[in-house]
Amino acid sequence: MSDKKLDLRTILKANKGDDLKLSNPLITASGTCGNGEELNDYFDINKLGAFCTKGITVDAQKGNKTPRIAETAAGIINSIGLENPGVDTFISEILPQCREYSLPIFANISGYSPEDFLTLADKLNDRPEIAGLEVNLSCPNIKGGGMIFGTDPEKVYQISKKIREIYSGYIIVKLTPNITDITSTALAAQKAGADAVAMINTLSALKIDIDKQEPLLANTFGGLSGPAIKPVALKMVYQSYKKLEIPIIGLGGVSSGEDVLEFILAGASAVGIGTINMLEPTAALRIIEEIKSYLRKHKIQKLSSLIGAAH
Amino acid sequence: MYEIFSNKEVGPDIYHLVLKCEGLEKEVKAGQFFNIKLSGINSYDPLLRRPLSVFDFSNESKRVEFVYKVVGKGTEILANYNPGEKLDLLGPLGSPFSISDRQSANIHLIGGGMGIAPLYLLAKKLKDLPIKVFLGAANKAELDFFADKFKNLGVEIHLAAMEEKLEIKGTALRLWDNYLKSELPSFVYCCGPEPLLSAVEIKALKEKIPGEISIEKRMGCGFGVCLSCSCESRNENEKNKRACVEGPVFAFGEVKYCE
Repeated sequence: MSDKKLDLRTILKANKGDDLKLSNPLITASGTCGNGEELNDYFDINKLGAFCTKGITVDAQKGNKTPRIAETAAGIINSIGLENPGVDTFISEILPQCREYSLPIFANISGYSPEDFLTLADKLNDRPEIAGLEVNLSCPNIKGGGMIFGTDPEKVYQISKKIREIYSGYIIVKLTPNITDITSTALAAQKAGADAVAMINTLSALKIDIDKQEPLLANTFGGLSGPAIKPVALKMVYQSYKKLEIPIIGLGGVSSGEDVLEFILAGASAVGIGTINMLEPTAALRIIEEIKSYLRKHKIQKLSSLIGAAH
Repeated sequence: MYEIFSNKEVGPDIYHLVLKCEGLEKEVKAGQFFNIKLSGINSYDPLLRRPLSVFDFSNESKRVEFVYKVVGKGTEILANYNPGEKLDLLGPLGSPFSISDRQSANIHLIGGGMGIAPLYLLAKKLKDLPIKVFLGAANKAELDFFADKFKNLGVEIHLAAMEEKLEIKGTALRLWDNYLKSELPSFVYCCGPEPLLSAVEIKALKEKIPGEISIEKRMGCGFGVCLSCSCESRNENEKNKRACVEGPVFAFGEVKYCE
């Protein structure tokens, strides 16, 4: 099959506004790719399916004390603590840079209270630079923050519903895996009118420095990401696919074309790439080639024909 | 991918790594670093690259050199690489030492432990000026390789060790502090553990001597996306500075120390 016939496009269906058409299923995972500029030094980020910004909050945050990162087997534990310049600076300084790119961009928003999410949704509504919001109801690294809302289906519903009333663009609710049944929060987001869910955020984790005999991270706990968490994420996508009508963005440890295909076969319409970018900034280009080579080998023309095919 | 020319032990657990870097287009400046992948192809353990400061670089011979100490899993893997094998490097990364406006005399370079490594390329660039180098480590064996290299540059060097008496028995800080009684420098460069950086900076600022430090932070990506290596600015109104992009070299008084 010639490369011209290979079709990597995927559609993120919207329940309210326009569907989002992505040239391929790869979306950068928030917090692993800055705001595009750094990665764009290594390759043209328009080659991605979509881009998701570093998480923003209402006010500027300096983040947690260092050390903020610990390594574990095939994974990292981070507790950055949402360091960001705040939404007003995001709008005045970062959004203008976003105009230089032609791919859909999602702004990742985080809050310390339900009101924070509404303030952010309001300030970002109708911004032409962004296609939508990724609502981070699952950050494990802020005190009293996102993850507390994200583990309670009722709170997920309430916050998502209020954001839906304010924000007219595409809404992705990003879910935490630190919960007994992720389908309960996924269904709550769907019921509230979210366009899609992203799963999973990091798994709550700990690393101890045995020389100092104390937790390595200044913040004690952090979020585990990287290849180590992929099977957990994949299981959650598989488990949610048949229960949900809205698209799933699958993420967690994706590092290869094979990983992307697993997530798509499990039921993801698009796939996030995160930690891999930190060690291989051009990973997206390699992954796209690996997907193409799989499609050629199996004589499959449309990648999207594989969504949920493992069920 | 760069081919290893040599990777020899030059002190107790201290290795000198020389890579051929024919394909490298960018100039490598003193104070910059490379981030080295140490897991094999399709392997993600250890997941993160390991940042190493450049010890020496020659554009003519197309060699980039590092000196590292085996301190953990990553460096242990690196020590087992052999000449002829290839390494995946990202770089050069980070902001270098500033050297263009250093015509003045009396420049002091202070290095502690493996923080000595990046000072060598710096000394090479400054060697036509009357510079003085103050080096400290645990013992003489850890300093021998560095001492020989600096001596070959023809610069004045002073050595201290914690475990045995060289010029003094003690730290690089005390060595330098003793020397300050006879001569105040006009500019100071310092690299080593944070307590050394912090103490040198405090002393220098008290005497109104400007300078630069190179800081070591736990890094994730090395190119500015993950914010793992953020350093808090001394200026309350400024945002954090990334050790991997705005640093690892900072001016005295620019960032707070915490580890």
